[in-house]
Amino acid sequence: MVSDTLSHLLRDNYLIARLRGKRSNLLQRQQLIALSESKSQTEIIGLLAEGPYGPELSKLGGESSTIETERAVRLGYADSVMSLIRASGGDTHEFLVQYRRRFDAYSLASLVVFKAQGKTWEEYLATRLPVALIKEQELHRLYSLDDVSTIAREAGDRHLVERVKGFSMTDIEGERASLARDIINGWGEERFYKYVDEKLSGPDRENCLPIAGSAIDIANLTIIIRSKLIGASGVRDHLIPSHWKLNQRAIDQLLAATDTLQALDAAAGHEYYSRILSGARQRYEESKSLSFIEVALRRYQLDLSKRLFLGFPYSVGIVLAFLVLKENEARNLAAVLAGVAAGLPTDELRSLLALQE
Amino acid sequence: MVCVDLTTCPTFWASLGAGLSVLLSAIGAGLGIGISGPAIAGAGVERPEVMLKTFIATILAEALAIYGLVVGLLSIFAIPSLTTIEGGTRIFAAGLTMGAASLGAGFGIGAAGSAMASATAEKPDIFSRAVISLILAEALAIYALVTALLLVFGAK
Repeated sequence: MVSDTLSHLLRDNYLIARLRGKRSNLLQRQQLIALSESKSQTEIIGLLAEGPYGPELSKLGGESSTIETERAVRLGYADSVMSLIRASGGDTHEFLVQYRRRFDAYSLASLVVFKAQGKTWEEYLATRLPVALIKEQELHRLYSLDDVSTIAREAGDRHLVERVKGFSMTDIEGERASLARDIINGWGEERFYKYVDEKLSGPDRENCLPIAGSAIDIANLTIIIRSKLIGASGVRDHLIPSHWKLNQRAIDQLLAATDTLQALDAAAGHEYYSRILSGARQRYEESKSLSFIEVALRRYQLDLSKRLFLGFPYSVGIVLAFLVLKENEARNLAAVLAGVAAGLPTDELRSLLALQE
Repeated sequence: MVCVDLTTCPTFWASLGAGLSVLLSAIGAGLGIGISGPAIAGAGVERPEVMLKTFIATILAEALAIYGLVVGLLSIFAIPSLTTIEGGTRIFAAGLTMGAASLGAGFGIGAAGSAMASATAEKPDIFSRAVISLILAEALAIYALVTALLLVFGAK
């Protein structure tokens, strides 16, 4: 434990100073609220011109599409993450590589959904996050495959193949597409969780586990609730076998629920997750969407990250905390851009943002 | 003075003290600069305007080597006038005090300086408060410097 701390102190202080500097440039709550009140995408681009997204946004033409602008935001995010990776060394570099592997799952999930929706490779590519380790050429090859299991086998592992069993390109649409996305993303979260749980130790593990653990628990919770919503069977096969606070008993309780509302009540009553999912039934009934669960998880992870920044700085926890903040900022911005372009009312748009209190 | 037995030789002990003072102080200064330097560079990459301010950590660390050098040189100048073993051990003690204190202070300055640079990169207004811990770490070496000088000046 002392050797871990010393190695972070001696090796990572350059990285830690940089990410603390970057943290001060993150968009604040008030700035995001102001952006959500913008009338047009051009106004948003103007407001962001001075910040870290400025260089990518300035490359856009006068009449850029929402997808192009979102891509510019993603590239700004990726640039920030990649500069940290380049500045890292030793175990911290390995940690960041493992963090990047999560994005392979995100890339794969959106690949399956885009492919199933009959969209072109170019449309998919425009939304891809360049942080992922998987190469563009490999993704192009996978995009030419027509079977979900084959894609899972080629790009994933046997666990992923088992979990996507029963899905085919012809039936992935609507909530079922979201379910497929949740399952594949959950597989990525599990790989990261396992790395944190098994490979890290001392303050590194202690600080990262709540963030990685809550991600897999909420992924399982979302898979169960979404399955209830669409009446899917054999849910157990799609679940992540690892768990943090959502243990087997809680999962059995959720699976035993007769419908979505009962499952949401069970989630809201969970001894640990009640703190982020209280009033889940009401929130679902108001929005008629499960997106509030993802927003609740992001808010919770923001709180954890904020606490990590206030604590002892020499652990990889602080690196993860910054990445959570940065990823959340990029997601918030993407939501603002999409929401403003779609003419979403400000209140509705704000409910999609995970903002720090 | 020609020494027959090194253990009772004042020149031997005084020389050892002078050497330790310079050596350990230089290691302490190196630690301080080595630990805080990368953090200062990192802070400078993200916020170039704070880099000059945060350099105080490396300056304070460098001062440790100067304290060690001062004690070392004064010890060397005192060697020709040494006549007793007590005088030699006083200079040895002075060198050890200065060197060991610089080693500790160097680590403290490195760790505190690194945290100060990071904190200043995030919130530049915090600099004037964050620098206090750095000055307190430097004070440890100044206590040793005062003690070492008293020991050297009292050596006969």
